[in-house]
Amino acid sequence: MQARDLCVRFGGLRALSNVTFAVAPSELVGIIGPNGAGKTTLFHVLSGIVAPASGRLSFAGHDLTGRAPHQFCWRGIARTFQTPRVFPALTVLENVAFGARFLHRRQRRAIAGTRAARLDEAARAALARVEMTGDASLSAGALPPARQRLLEIAMALATNPRLLLLDEVVAGLTESEAAEVARLIRGIQRELGVAVIWIEHAVGTLMRAVDRMMVLDYGELIADGAPAAVAADRRVIDAYLGGDEGGAG
Amino acid sequence: MDPSLFADLAVAGLITGGIYALIAIGLNLQYGLLRIMNIAHGEFLMVGAYLTYALRTATGASPLWFLPVSAGAMFLLGLALHRLVFRRLAATSASPEVLEERSLLVGFGLMFVMQNVALLIWGADLRGYDYLSDPIQYHGVVVTANRLLVFGVVVTISAALMIALRTTMAGKAVRGMLQSPLGALLVGVDTRRLHPICFALGLAMAGAAGSLLSMIFEVSPSMGESYTVTALIVITLGGLGHIAGSFVGALVLGLVESFGMYFTSPSLKVLLSYGVFVLVLLIRPRGLFAR
Amino acid sequence: MIARRLVGALAAVAIFALPLYGSPFAVALGLACLMYATLATSWSIFSGPTRTLSLATSAFFGLGAYCTAFALGSLPWPLIIFLGGSVAAAFAALIGLVVLRLRGAYFAVLTFGLGEVVRHAVTYIEKSQSGTVGRVLTDTPPAGTVYITVAVLAALAAVAYRTVARSDLGFALRGIGADEERAATLGVHVRRAKLAAFCLTAWFAGAVGAAAAVRWTYIDPSSVFNPFIVFQTVLIAMVGGPAKLRGPILGALIFSLLAELLRLRLPYLYMIVLGVLLILSVLFLPEGLAGVRWIDRLLAPRRRARAEASHV
Repeated sequence: MQARDLCVRFGGLRALSNVTFAVAPSELVGIIGPNGAGKTTLFHVLSGIVAPASGRLSFAGHDLTGRAPHQFCWRGIARTFQTPRVFPALTVLENVAFGARFLHRRQRRAIAGTRAARLDEAARAALARVEMTGDASLSAGALPPARQRLLEIAMALATNPRLLLLDEVVAGLTESEAAEVARLIRGIQRELGVAVIWIEHAVGTLMRAVDRMMVLDYGELIADGAPAAVAADRRVIDAYLGGDEGGAG
Repeated sequence: MDPSLFADLAVAGLITGGIYALIAIGLNLQYGLLRIMNIAHGEFLMVGAYLTYALRTATGASPLWFLPVSAGAMFLLGLALHRLVFRRLAATSASPEVLEERSLLVGFGLMFVMQNVALLIWGADLRGYDYLSDPIQYHGVVVTANRLLVFGVVVTISAALMIALRTTMAGKAVRGMLQSPLGALLVGVDTRRLHPICFALGLAMAGAAGSLLSMIFEVSPSMGESYTVTALIVITLGGLGHIAGSFVGALVLGLVESFGMYFTSPSLKVLLSYGVFVLVLLIRPRGLFAR
Repeated sequence: MIARRLVGALAAVAIFALPLYGSPFAVALGLACLMYATLATSWSIFSGPTRTLSLATSAFFGLGAYCTAFALGSLPWPLIIFLGGSVAAAFAALIGLVVLRLRGAYFAVLTFGLGEVVRHAVTYIEKSQSGTVGRVLTDTPPAGTVYITVAVLAALAAVAYRTVARSDLGFALRGIGADEERAATLGVHVRRAKLAAFCLTAWFAGAVGAAAAVRWTYIDPSSVFNPFIVFQTVLIAMVGGPAKLRGPILGALIFSLLAELLRLRLPYLYMIVLGVLLILSVLFLPEGLAGVRWIDRLLAPRRRARAEASHV
């Protein structure tokens, strides 16, 4: 994934300014930043929901700037949403299978059997990755939000992605629960060779889990490097604490 | 182009546009505020027209007296509708999209009910009455007196409304609601009282427009349909929630239609406005005047 | 289970054979019922799962009717029907490219306006070409043929509905209806899916229009591009319940009977009743009559309630 000078404007607000970075295959990158920094907006750009006002976006050598969301999916980019967007009237398994239905030719794995069987197998495999196999026949709408977030990860996995965009998947979890999820994610990254970009508010969990950290503040990328280095970065500290020019309160 | 021809077309366009403005502002209040797409909006125009027609032919008095009657009747009807139908709809809809879907269907049903009630009472023939149809001349431009009057009333009503929106407390509350429904609630605007009033006000404006129309055109039960579409076109042109934008957009549309009809053909008027609609939706979906 | 299948088969035979044993009145009634069953079912193919109210049926119907007007006598009957459907579908594809980007109120009003636009366009073309606006239909096929045609179309529509509902397209459409953006991020080509369903709906509406046109000996734009057609279609589909196949069929049955009771005697009252019914059903019966449990159980096969076209 190569992003260059991404700019997004909403009305008069610059949500993203000249954001530039690259993600290598199988890399696990974390993104942190204060509220309103533009993290989710960045994900919208990386998944095709919002087109950047300027800048270029390419993935695996293909230019994806301004293309439709399904193109992003077909190229191998999958995401979860901060507020889970599952299909409430379907079961957990059906939700995951949805993701496996609309794959482009190049994404389909060569599995034998009827189409229904293949979909089922792909869905169960994805579900197993997030250890939700027991919930397969539950109604997705009835799940608590934390489980729905895991479901979203499974749905994303069903699309056979090369890059996974995770948006605050451990929100509201205790530290040990969050560590569990982090373990699952690392497993996905290692065993499936998927690159992951992970937005999180719980900075601690992220620090321990990722190889590399990016920090957004007011739409700008202010830091990009190893977690320890980023944590010690002056600009990052200022961004979180409001700077010494007297932030609010 | 011959200047008096130009003036003729311009005047005709402005007058038509004026009517469009009233209807569009009414619809803007409803859709912009409450997200209720009242697809039957034009039917209220039709009923307003018939009311004025009926009262005028029964009493022989100037139809201007009945303008407030038409508007008032539609206002009351609006209050009733909001209470009985739309409030329940809003309460039982899981999301704004669902509310919109359902109000569309309800509006669709309402459209047929109202048209057929009119058919039942008055029949399908065109009806009309004569009022101030003497032409007035000014520098080679000829306009019938009733059209001038209609335009004058339209401008007065629109101006009064826009001034009220800017200066009165209630008006500011409404503008606040148009910009941010949640914000308005937080600031203490009594949306429960204002919603039905705005809804009813929108219908009242349709009724007023219908009443004015009855003075210059003939009335028929199906006259309202095309005005609903036109109102939506105008709102799209002017921007949802922008009242002044609707006013300007309506005049623009009226002018475009007037000149367009001259250069192509009267029967292509519908095609023309439809084309404008599609064009605006594709190019500037937030309206020509959106910031 | 076998008993149900037998009953179903008998019913199908009875329906198709009606011209052989029924009175002309019964055949006409059956024709109207089947026509609306087709319209409502095919309307539900698009508007049901995507939850987008399309009011374009009148435009498609009228286009099909005009196909018949032009081609009757020069082309064989089955080809005319096919052509009627195809012209409507082509039109749908054309405007779909533009109109399908919109949702909700704008889509509804635009598709509603389509009927008007096409009506005016046809009127204009007819006037400038032949000077008159209407056309007289000669060489019309016998009532029995028309009946069978519409019956076949109804059966095809039901098959199409079911096939789509169970296919990937059906899942795509339901995903679009539930959360369009989300579906797109999961690989659904939203534009293509909508266009496919929209054109399918249009084809049936056009084909039915082509067939039904011969019921009138004289057609003109106002009668075939009549908004009442789409109104009744939507009403039947919504009151019946657009999420399941039996919904539109049930609705068509009820309304055809109601129509015969009321329409000829009190036409305006009939429409008022319909309108009120639509409003009431939207307010109180969100899933239509087919959603009311006892009706559902009466009609539905007991097996596989979930494997059927499930709601999303």
